[in-house]
Amino acid sequence: MPTITIDGEKYQVDGDQNLLSSCLTLGLNIPYFCWHPEMGSVGACRQCAMIEYKDSEDQSGRLIMSCMTPIRDGGIYSVNAEMAKEFRGGIIEDLMTNHPHDCPVCEEGGECHLQDMTEMSGHTMRRYRGSKRTHRNQYLGPFINHEMNRCITCYRCVRFYNEYAGGNDLQALGRNHQIYFGRQEEGRLENGFSGNLVEVCPTGVFTDKTFSAHFVRKWDLQTAPSICEHCAVGCNTAPGARESSNNLDPILRRITNLYHHDINGYFLCDRGRFGYEYVNSATRIDKVLSVRDEDLIGSTADNKDILHKEINPQDAVLNLSVQITAAQRQLRRIIGIGSPRSSLENNFALRQLVGADHFYSGLNYLDQEVLQLVNSLQSDDRILSPSTPEIETSDAVLIIGEDIYNTAPRIALAVRQAARNRQKQAAQSLKIPLWQDASVRQLEEEHSPIIFIGTALSNLDDIADATLFESPQKTALFTHALAQEISGYKAPNLKMPPHLQEMVKRTAAILLKAGKPLIISGTSGKHPGTLQAVAELSRALSDDKKTPTKLYLACSEANSLGLTQLFNGTEGNLQQLVQTLTDQRSANIPTSLIILENDLYRRLDKHSVEKLFSLVDEVILLDTLLTPTAKRANCIFPASATAESQGTFVNNNGLAQRFYAVYEGKGFIQESWRWLVDAVDFCTETCENLSVLKEWKHSTDISDAIAREFRVLRVLDELGPDENFRIDGLRIARQSSRYSGRTAIHAQEHVSETPPINDPDAPMSFSMEGIHNPNKTQLQANIWSPGWNSNQSIFKFQEQVGGERKGGPSGKMIERPRHPIPDWTNTLEKSPQPPNSMQMLPIYRLFGSEELSNQSMAISELIEAPFVLINPKEMTQHGVNEGELVDIETSSGIYRTEIRRCNTTPEGCIGVPYGLPGLETLAALMPGYATLRPAATHSIAGVEN
Amino acid sequence: MIASQIRSMWLVFKHLFRRNVTVQYPEEKPYLAPRYRGRIILSRDPNGDERCVACNLCAVACPPDCISLQKTEDPDGRWRPEYFRINFSRCIMCGLCEDACPTYAIQLTPDFEMCEYDRQNMVYEKEDLLIDGPGKYHDYSFYQVAGKAIAGKDKGEADNEAEPINIKSLNL
Repeated sequence: MPTITIDGEKYQVDGDQNLLSSCLTLGLNIPYFCWHPEMGSVGACRQCAMIEYKDSEDQSGRLIMSCMTPIRDGGIYSVNAEMAKEFRGGIIEDLMTNHPHDCPVCEEGGECHLQDMTEMSGHTMRRYRGSKRTHRNQYLGPFINHEMNRCITCYRCVRFYNEYAGGNDLQALGRNHQIYFGRQEEGRLENGFSGNLVEVCPTGVFTDKTFSAHFVRKWDLQTAPSICEHCAVGCNTAPGARESSNNLDPILRRITNLYHHDINGYFLCDRGRFGYEYVNSATRIDKVLSVRDEDLIGSTADNKDILHKEINPQDAVLNLSVQITAAQRQLRRIIGIGSPRSSLENNFALRQLVGADHFYSGLNYLDQEVLQLVNSLQSDDRILSPSTPEIETSDAVLIIGEDIYNTAPRIALAVRQAARNRQKQAAQSLKIPLWQDASVRQLEEEHSPIIFIGTALSNLDDIADATLFESPQKTALFTHALAQEISGYKAPNLKMPPHLQEMVKRTAAILLKAGKPLIISGTSGKHPGTLQAVAELSRALSDDKKTPTKLYLACSEANSLGLTQLFNGTEGNLQQLVQTLTDQRSANIPTSLIILENDLYRRLDKHSVEKLFSLVDEVILLDTLLTPTAKRANCIFPASATAESQGTFVNNNGLAQRFYAVYEGKGFIQESWRWLVDAVDFCTETCENLSVLKEWKHSTDISDAIAREFRVLRVLDELGPDENFRIDGLRIARQSSRYSGRTAIHAQEHVSETPPINDPDAPMSFSMEGIHNPNKTQLQANIWSPGWNSNQSIFKFQEQVGGERKGGPSGKMIERPRHPIPDWTNTLEKSPQPPNSMQMLPIYRLFGSEELSNQSMAISELIEAPFVLINPKEMTQHGVNEGELVDIETSSGIYRTEIRRCNTTPEGCIGVPYGLPGLETLAALMPGYATLRPAATHSIAGVEN
Repeated sequence: MIASQIRSMWLVFKHLFRRNVTVQYPEEKPYLAPRYRGRIILSRDPNGDERCVACNLCAVACPPDCISLQKTEDPDGRWRPEYFRINFSRCIMCGLCEDACPTYAIQLTPDFEMCEYDRQNMVYEKEDLLIDGPGKYHDYSFYQVAGKAIAGKDKGEADNEAEPINIKSLNL
């Protein structure tokens, strides 16, 4: 390691870094703007000036830009030399001449990098008295506010948006003194990572519009480490909450990125950043609801819908406990349905309550089958599930049947970086350091190969070398052929047209040639054959390379893979439940159904769900939102959302991660497991299984119980400290030391202050008392360091700039028993397509496909009206035109939607948006068949029965 | 020893002929300078609009944390407090809020006569705090020096501001 001298002190530093990031790693404070740890240096802002001395004799030295200076072994530098300080002061004064006097009315104020750097450079008084240039702002959509006056022209926004995230609708316009960062015309920023501009912009040009609607300063937000619940990537987030204005209950106010080296790094997608508002939405359940006996005059409810009224929580819990007691005396049967979007703790508590025999996964057969496939693939030693940095460094990417931009968005961003690896290799061969971002991007190398096979590809089409849009069956066939090509096996049964054979050969050559090939697939196609083919391909590639194949498999929901661990194979799927109940109907024993945070209408076709409800006497739901299932429940308990509770999710890699409660949910909201434990507490008699529940007082008690019960999940008891953990006798503070308004915020109700709520689950306080330093514990999610108020201060808590967090990575891999995957070489199915029908292929949308984020106000603005995609050829065949309404006839009814032309939709198929409001109930039918015909009369889109 | 006691008695005796320092409060009220730190008010700018822009700086400066407010935004872009609450039963009249205020909205006044039988009555809401005038600073209007556009003050119309740049022109 090279040794350098800075201001007379000798340091050992990493020679691959530039001088600026080395100095920051050493903990020195140097102001900067245009440099970003993930995006490298361009040397545009001139703010990070230092002095370099020729040798120890040199007294004057020369000015250098530290971000553009490679480390020289034995180099002598100075940060604090008078000339450097004066130069930096001059630069910031220059940058600030046009900056408006806006800080009090700017959402960035208090966590503004420009404020921090201005202070650091000692420029605290404005001498400039001339006129300031002004700009008009643009409307940039429901997520981002634009205030162009504040710009200091560091170019970070366009570098992130265009070069890093692949957007093309934000540009630097104008010239010299008048540079303008905006769109050519007003309109929504179309890239799905636009929210990162809020954190990338060093000042307040781009601010979070949803946060602005219920704005407070950073120091007034209470926070805790959390996990994003809007997909299965498992990005770490730091949600911020504070009491709302006119009642005592806190509301969730925003999401910011929480650095995790192996998952999200510095960036989040817009669904994760702006999807949080579902927690405060009108559909949120915050009361205990029960059946209303009397009719409502003028009610618009369907005849099967149950009308609810608020009841006393104690009555509801008592009612549940009576049912549990009856079940123990064999007078009643209780069935539990789990959920892939709820924590392992909640699922396990329900399983313990109803017994493993009566616990069902809440997934349909197909969903569970593909998840088990993912699980068994990842249990093979020849397959390795890569972290985000590993994805970013792979030199050939093959994506099979997964539209990752819409199903695992953060991974699509990583793949975009992987596309640059050929360029980076060229740079290295020319001895250009990789942090020299502008120079590296000058190299006109081709993209690293990215090949896609599947039904739909979004966002990555500009960097994909080859795309093949086919039905899942053909995708599987292609993948099998590829595997056979790689393993040198010629199968007689794989008949393919010549151009496909040629593509198979080319793809195989690319994969074989690549040093670090990566395969990406997932469950979104709901096609086991594809995953089996992917398994075969991975195995073939691994046998050839003699190293495990990197295979990233995307699952659909935050805890899909966690839930899978609780079941063997496809046991416990919902079809099995319906069948069991039907078979045992003659037993004539009353049945209660407890549904945990799950909307069954998204899982099973309508008729099966109706049948299920008709087979049970009592439906009890624990959930956060009023879903269609809630309308059929006899009793509804308000469950806490992710940001309000503690629990564990297992992400796509099999990484178990714990999230912590940021605030206490309003009203009677509490964790689902607490409702269940409350009910058991009321039981007069308890058998052995139930008395276990009575012992559970803390969330970690359940985590430990899971670790004892399931070998696979035994890491759960070491995921984090339990509630008794203390540092220097103190808890970790959720509120910053500057948290304001403590003695006034509740004063209109009671002038005397009430003590803060005690957290029974985590060693954290709901107050500003306790540990504030994120270096002492990663449970502190308020990323702040003296003089560094913005999120940029994260480098103070990393081993080195862009490296692991101090204290090591959070989360632990679940320990799945290793066993080789079975041989699926000859499992190609022959699927008979019903005549005159079309296969419904699920297509995904970043905004619209995920259940929870759809209820977020900002996101709901962007959700499209129901539509289906169809090939132009089929369009003519069916005699329909673009934009017309069609009827999609399925086994659960007729859906009227708009029809859209899509050249890439395979023939004989229609692309149906998964989970889109209005078409949610179609989700369970895919990839089944439907018939399509022009709508008889022109009426609005909707569902008919 | 004796000399000292005689001297003390002489000094006390001399005070018989001095003017009284104490006044007969409340019948008679002493002079308090305008910058005396008493009851807190929220002022208005010369146009009569609320000066407070809900920046939260008073709240964070407040040592006993007795100020609480919530930002809201008018359709024209002006920031305002949705509610603004001071718990005077906690206030120590230190004046740090006034120091922190970037818009001269929050000001301390020479009124200190705040007695209540019920502590709850010491909680003042925005309606109780807002006065009709500009207080100690007659001419200051924050939005006139800030870059944010609001109704009646477009981009480029604040003090020391150039016309907004037309990015579609050649701008030579």
